Amino acid sequence: MVFSSLVFLCAFLPCVLGLYVICPGRFRNLLLLLASLFFYAWGEPRYILIMLFSTVFDYCNGRMIEYYDKQGRQKQKKRVLILSIAGNLAILCFFKYTDLLILSWNQLTASNLKLLGLALPIGISFYTFQTMSYTIDVYRGLVKPQHNILSFGMYVCMFPQLIAGPIVQYQTIEDQIDNRFVTDITWTEGMQRFLIGLGKKVLLANQIGELWSEISGGDLGSLSTAGAWLGAAAYTFQIYFDFSGYSDMAIGLGKLFGFRFPENFLYPYESKSISEFWCRWHISLGSWFRQYVYYPLGGNRKGIQIQIINLFIVWFLTGLWHGASWNFVLWGMYYFVLLVLEKIFLRKEMQRWPGFVCHIYTKFFVIVGWVIFALEDFGQMKSYLNAMFGVGHEFVNSDAIYLFKTYGILLIILILASTRIPKKGIRKLEEYIAKAEPEFAAKKGQKAKFIGYSLYTLLLLILSIGLLINGSYNPFLYFRF
Amino acid sequence: MKLYYRIYRFGIFGLLFILGLSCVLMPQTAYSENENRYLDSFPKLTAESILSGEFQESFESAFSDQFSARNTWMTGSSILKKLEGFREISDVYLGSDDYYITKVTQADIDQKQFMQNLRYAEYLGAADDAECSLLLVPSAGVLLENNLPKYAPYYNAGQMYSTADTILKKTKNIDVRTEMQEYAKQTQVYFRTDHHWTLSGAYAAYSTYCDVMELGKHTYGYFSAKKISETFLGTMHSKVLLPGMDGDTVYAATNVPQAKVVYDGEEKSTIYDVEKLTQKNKYEYFFGGNYAKVTITMNKKAKNKLLVIKDSFANSFVPFLMEDYDEITMIDLRYYNDSVQELLKENYSQILILYEMSNFAGEQNIYKLTL
Repeated sequence: MVFSSLVFLCAFLPCVLGLYVICPGRFRNLLLLLASLFFYAWGEPRYILIMLFSTVFDYCNGRMIEYYDKQGRQKQKKRVLILSIAGNLAILCFFKYTDLLILSWNQLTASNLKLLGLALPIGISFYTFQTMSYTIDVYRGLVKPQHNILSFGMYVCMFPQLIAGPIVQYQTIEDQIDNRFVTDITWTEGMQRFLIGLGKKVLLANQIGELWSEISGGDLGSLSTAGAWLGAAAYTFQIYFDFSGYSDMAIGLGKLFGFRFPENFLYPYESKSISEFWCRWHISLGSWFRQYVYYPLGGNRKGIQIQIINLFIVWFLTGLWHGASWNFVLWGMYYFVLLVLEKIFLRKEMQRWPGFVCHIYTKFFVIVGWVIFALEDFGQMKSYLNAMFGVGHEFVNSDAIYLFKTYGILLIILILASTRIPKKGIRKLEEYIAKAEPEFAAKKGQKAKFIGYSLYTLLLLILSIGLLINGSYNPFLYFRF
Repeated sequence: MKLYYRIYRFGIFGLLFILGLSCVLMPQTAYSENENRYLDSFPKLTAESILSGEFQESFESAFSDQFSARNTWMTGSSILKKLEGFREISDVYLGSDDYYITKVTQADIDQKQFMQNLRYAEYLGAADDAECSLLLVPSAGVLLENNLPKYAPYYNAGQMYSTADTILKKTKNIDVRTEMQEYAKQTQVYFRTDHHWTLSGAYAAYSTYCDVMELGKHTYGYFSAKKISETFLGTMHSKVLLPGMDGDTVYAATNVPQAKVVYDGEEKSTIYDVEKLTQKNKYEYFFGGNYAKVTITMNKKAKNKLLVIKDSFANSFVPFLMEDYDEITMIDLRYYNDSVQELLKENYSQILILYEMSNFAGEQNIYKLTL
């Protein structure tokens, strides 16, 4: 099931929310576990077994690490950790990367091995990373192993973040598993956050995604340079609003059940450098790789050469994590090069650049990056990049003008919505009212703000349902993750 | 303040819950007149259909199809798109003068299929003794170019008529664009809310057809066009669903000869179906919609026989020809599954293949001409 579907919004969610309220406290984790299993099985009725296996497997590993730790048998303890990591990676690699390996082998050696043709189990990259973080942290002694398998299962399978993140490390919600509460206030905040995310996904990402799919699906030979940039910008916005919308929905849903998930996006398109962009984009993935790959490899403490090798490994893996196709690896390598350049000399250089130049520099490389990310076929990628850089393409044609005119207003909304400008605007308005009408602001300001925000989120919900019923374009972008 | 949070909490929860509940509990609608299709209804639960995911898929589409006030929600989303400045909704251009025009771009046209279909048409002309011609009705956006939103992409029809000219040798290529253009200056040749042509549009094509086939033609007035509806909201309107759209006026030729009409084996005395006027799709008044085979006999000792291979555009066009032939047979290859070659043994004097251009280019059934 996906969040942006009518069945989720009007059937699954109200049922679970209703049951959660009437359910006695000690059964709530069980209820969430069952609801999550239902949620997952709705889309993947067979693959649920893999998730259950992964859950039981790492539950046992956690217990075993604890057992050996108490007995002081460090060697065995380490063996269990290696078993856990190997097991998780084996599952992930088997389902995700086997076909890529066979395909590449076939191309290299002109052989003809048969592909497995397995559909990728949705969310596998997220939950295997979560369970690995758990065993590693148990090994490091950062968290206590969970003794209740139902509570552990609830952590692994929890539907709010199951299919598209954020990757919630066990240590962040360890305390919340058995000790959390929901009030009218937190519930409302959670729902509003969820509706903001829903609006981002359905109203913004889906609508602009249609533009990208029209441009990239058309004849690339007759694409104009302006049209190509328009398409690339469309995808840039689509992936941001889709992904951050999912994260907002996840964080909001978590709050509805009393969880506090970490933020996953912090206005990344406001960044003034590539390094900054990666601190603000998909934060939970970045910190996962930092904590479980980069730092263990030595990070930046072993000299610049080792650091570059470490960065190479991290970015190779980051690219590959996003999908079993070489274009994702290329995309990872692209960022590896940019980040290394920034580390070596660019960052110092950039301190002398005016802010808007840093912005343009960052935007430019991010947008080009998304084209590499979006087009899996290298031939297509090449034609598209040719169009973007004007190699044998006219600068602008009537198709591009038409699309600019049609999507103009939406693009302005997208630009504004991807920055903090609306938030700042509202704050300015509040300050203005506080000055002009101090009495009103003091007495009713908070209420007025709440009512305004409530109506706004209600409107987002209604418009989103309208677009969903209309059967508009509604893709799920993470089936490759 | 706390009360406000409580109101919000119960309000949103109640809204979602009631929307979902009404969708499942309300009696199910089987057919959507507006969308002209059967709606999905909730599936039966079996272990097999759950494991394959089939149950979930049908449940989701039924949930959307059975949603309360479905059309109102769709209207809402169209208003949103209009406010956002979209010049098209659900692949329909919102043209000037309230014209809705189907969006067909160059990328939508399968040139290979088009050429293949032309070759089938040519094959028919070369293989049969009957005089064979192909009439490709221009898409609305071709003639109403000025009504399209500015810079809106549209496929290149001129090039396709030229392609037809080069491929067709034995089969005549009847190009009705000039005549229709002439008529378009004075009257409405396409409906504003439907993809079909109006009676005037069909008449313009009839006029060209008569010139090419050297038939004596009657004036438009001769056919005593009668207004049959003023409230026709066609298929394009169903996709867009913006409020405040005026209905189209539909005319039908009344001064046509008496005839015996056989629809897929069932005999009737009229080419028009009055019952369809109470329905939404009033274009189906002409011949009651599409049948696999319709035979219209004006004269029992049929000598001068015409075979029309067609899509729905022929339905309002064929009445004009009833006086020129003793018998007209129309077949729709989408539904006609008997041998066309067998049918040709009935000695037709002329064969007319009539399709709207983009329909013809995309039609997958033209190969049946060779069967």
